[in-house]
Amino acid sequence: MSVGHVGRAIEESGIATVTVMVKAFEHRARELKVPRALIVKHPMGRPMGAAGDIERQRAVLNAAFDLVESSTEGATVVEFPEAYRPRPLDA
Amino acid sequence: MTNSDEHESLESFRNSFSYGSRTDLDFKFLKSLTDDQAAAFLQDVLRKLGNAYDSGDAQPLIEAAYEAQVAGYMRGPGAPPPRHAFEDGPFTRLDKQLGDARVGLLTTSGHFVAGDDPEPFGVKAMTQEEAVARISESLRDTPVLSEIPSDTATSDLRVRHGGYDIRSVLKDTNVAFPIERLRDARSEGTVDELAQTFFSFPGATSQGRLRRELPGWVERIREEGTDVMLLVPL
Repeated sequence: MSVGHVGRAIEESGIATVTVMVKAFEHRARELKVPRALIVKHPMGRPMGAAGDIERQRAVLNAAFDLVESSTEGATVVEFPEAYRPRPLDA
Repeated sequence: MTNSDEHESLESFRNSFSYGSRTDLDFKFLKSLTDDQAAAFLQDVLRKLGNAYDSGDAQPLIEAAYEAQVAGYMRGPGAPPPRHAFEDGPFTRLDKQLGDARVGLLTTSGHFVAGDDPEPFGVKAMTQEEAVARISESLRDTPVLSEIPSDTATSDLRVRHGGYDIRSVLKDTNVAFPIERLRDARSEGTVDELAQTFFSFPGATSQGRLRRELPGWVERIREEGTDVMLLVPL
């Protein structure tokens, strides 16, 4: 799981990292002790949200930023509460 | 399935979606399900498709596929222990407000800028199809970190990755490489500024070779003066 190694190395160098991971990868976040993992209930290949779903992409990004500001120790795993949705028809 | 006189087993059918005769990276998880799980999944999908004839609502179908995918990737009770696991995780506290921070991006989505193709195996303009066909070689190869200026126009971004279905990303870069959402965050003042350069590589690569590249990568990333890095694996 490439990002686990990358994230640990960047964090060790003194930069705060936050990783947005789909639920299918959650066990890897826990095994690799990814410094901060935001778990999204999205299908693989769509971590930030559906194509064109700007609202969801923003919400995921803001949740990732919140995790950076609120976390107090490594290997913090938080789940984004909303289920995946295709691009809303009225968007 | 090479002999048309033979019946195809459910196992062979399941496996064919993962780099086989029916390759579909959205459904390669079928290989990881048991026959019973796969049969239950297909039955569930067909029943919900029947419901959708009347409702027009695909959401239950999407959720059924999502749940089966998560089940396919979960480590079962009899599975071998993970090859890469750690007892504890490093932690760097952000020593300023996010609104005063410089933010970077690194994804394993396989994005690069037009004209700066990493050309895996020396192949010029490799297609997504070839990347999928050569996944086994990629998993033994040394990864190349692509540099993407954070003001790059999305029309100049390219993506190629043999490990996941890029259909959504081709429609909207921000699905996996949220460059416009980060520019929004800067415009709105959520963050102070963006790193001059963002980074991406295809995560389907040799993990041993990746770790040998990492010290150089980290040195390069540190030159960006970034306080926070957003990481997006695919």
